[in-house]
Amino acid sequence: MSLFLASTRKDLARWRQDTNALLLFLAIPLLIGGLITVLMSGSGGAKPHGTVLIVDQDDTFLSGVIAGAFGQGELGELLTVKKVTVEDGMANMDAGEASGLLIIPKGFTDAFFDKQPVTLILKTNPAQTILPGIISDVTEILLDAGFYAQQLFGEDIATIRDGNLEGLPDDVFVSAIAVSIQHKIEASGSLLFPPAMDIDIVPPPPEQPRIPYALLFLPGVILLALMFAANGLASDYWEEREHGTLRRLVYAPGQLTAFLAGKALAAGLVITLIGGVTLVIGFLYHGIAWSKLPSSLAWIAISGVALFSWFGALQMLAGNRRSGNLITSMLLFPLLMAGGSFFPFAALPDWIAALGRRTPNGFIADRLTTEITSATTWAIDIQSWLIVSTMAVLGLALCAWRLQTGFARN
Amino acid sequence: MLVISNLLKQYGDLVAVDDISLRAEKGTVFGLLGPNGAGKSTMINCISGLLRPTSGSVSVGGFDIVDDPTDAKKLLGVVPQELALYEDLSAIDNLRYWGKAYGMRGEDLASRAKEVLGNIGLADRSKDLPKTFSGGMKRRLNFACGIMHRPHLILLDEPTAGVDPQSRQRLFDMVEAERRHGACILYTTHYMAEAEQLCDSLAIIDHGKLIAQGTVAELRAKLGARDVLQLSGAFPGDSSQQAIQKLVNNGLSDLELIAQEEQNITMTLSDASQHLPAIFAALAEVGGNVSETSLRRPNLETLFLLLTGKELRE
Repeated sequence: MSLFLASTRKDLARWRQDTNALLLFLAIPLLIGGLITVLMSGSGGAKPHGTVLIVDQDDTFLSGVIAGAFGQGELGELLTVKKVTVEDGMANMDAGEASGLLIIPKGFTDAFFDKQPVTLILKTNPAQTILPGIISDVTEILLDAGFYAQQLFGEDIATIRDGNLEGLPDDVFVSAIAVSIQHKIEASGSLLFPPAMDIDIVPPPPEQPRIPYALLFLPGVILLALMFAANGLASDYWEEREHGTLRRLVYAPGQLTAFLAGKALAAGLVITLIGGVTLVIGFLYHGIAWSKLPSSLAWIAISGVALFSWFGALQMLAGNRRSGNLITSMLLFPLLMAGGSFFPFAALPDWIAALGRRTPNGFIADRLTTEITSATTWAIDIQSWLIVSTMAVLGLALCAWRLQTGFARN
Repeated sequence: MLVISNLLKQYGDLVAVDDISLRAEKGTVFGLLGPNGAGKSTMINCISGLLRPTSGSVSVGGFDIVDDPTDAKKLLGVVPQELALYEDLSAIDNLRYWGKAYGMRGEDLASRAKEVLGNIGLADRSKDLPKTFSGGMKRRLNFACGIMHRPHLILLDEPTAGVDPQSRQRLFDMVEAERRHGACILYTTHYMAEAEQLCDSLAIIDHGKLIAQGTVAELRAKLGARDVLQLSGAFPGDSSQQAIQKLVNNGLSDLELIAQEEQNITMTLSDASQHLPAIFAALAEVGGNVSETSLRRPNLETLFLLLTGKELRE
């Protein structure tokens, strides 16, 4: 126990001397994470918005209804309706400043009531994909609605228009129109009520809280910090060997496993500190519930020890320090790329994401994502905790084996 | 305190330590002498438990280093030839850490660390990092880490290599102090003068073999009063040997030819300086040409030369 804690204290004291390295472990992921967050901010929930230009040459009530339809309800959130002249409209379209241009010709209303053909002109912006389609669909729906209204109530509308009414219409006239409309509705009632089609209204699934894209980067950025720190600290085995302190340790009666466990604890504390700072910054930025902090920190701590132990084992399996650094560096960057540190799993093709989740860091990042985005705390399943704990123990066992089979003696 | 019995260490066909037996007692300094590559460090590594002997045994204070390593290592302090320090840990923290590695704790640990720092003259630098120390200061701290736990047997492997005279003397003082406290010290070196100054008894090894063992006085007696004469130049093989034999036959009866090569002749004889003209004349007669002469009084260095036919530091 004495050597275990002495080993921890010794390494913490030594590593504290190298503040530049510690700051670098922290600065690299914060820099990358900050850049990614800035680039991704606001892209998560923004709706497209465009302008529809209306040239109303008819300037009647009916043409006004068509123009106004684009600004109603949810359509109004997507489109701004702007009345323009033909020249201004064409100029705006040529400049690519609008999503669509609708020209309602003079005589549109008369042609409508007289059941005469009439042409509306719609120009859309080919540089856009979504909004021009919406404008085109809305225009067709409006025209279809007008056609059916004309077919059903055309005579009544013509009667009203041709009534040459002066002042208010008398009661008989109004009653006759009303009765005529009522009869037509009743006649078509068997078709309309109930509707010929059976509509099964499926309630939408309860709305999932939208996860901002930048938040999905947070676990990857934290893993970036963890991987850099674990890899950097693991090279300390070579430092100890080259300074002869491992050999001196073999002279002593103390257990190498106590030394190893002490070093792993020190590394775990440093990695937790570095990962914890990144985590706290992420919590503050994304407004994550603080109740999730203890569980997230615990996950980072155990994961940090596991990563450190495996990087350490790889270093000790290498023939010399340079080979050790080369091997771990060759592993580090592909693992970071596949494991979601540069691209979150949500942005990767499914098969790559599935592979990435099976990398050690990808597995850790995936579970951390679960922890910080779920509705509950301690959301990581017990199997995952066991897997990471087993990884840590196996890595340390490999280190102990390597220390006892020559690494410490040479 | 230290009993080595028939120690053998082989690496494949190479025999690094060849059937060596020796014994060192408490309160003594035992010198292990030999040139580089003689097998001294391999022996130290076998004694310290770093290497497992091929055969034979090493017992420290009655505990076998292979069968009972924990108890044996508690009694053992090793000061390795290369520095073994945490350069980024303060001097006192280095001592505390190594004390804890040997099971020390509490007040005993704290007071011993201060005491040892004082003994090595680094009390005022206790909080400083070794990377700011001079080479000699690091050597002293390296020594201190090895004796922190008051070992009964101290293995000193070439402790003065590359050390300035002042630090060397301080190291000698520390070795003397440990001896006075009853420790047994196994001191390896290839500096004969150091061995003569410090050691109570000695073993000389070469090519892994023990070639002489005894107290300094006993080993000196082996030499008698004969000087060692080394001649350099050009010496025709057989005729030079015959010329020297002729000198022996003509009255220089204690002259002994130790080694003869084409360019070097080594011999021992009493009062060599008196006989130099006769020796030169005899060699000149057979075509020999002396370009350099070295005459040394008997000491351990010359004993080594006598035993092996070569210089200790070759």
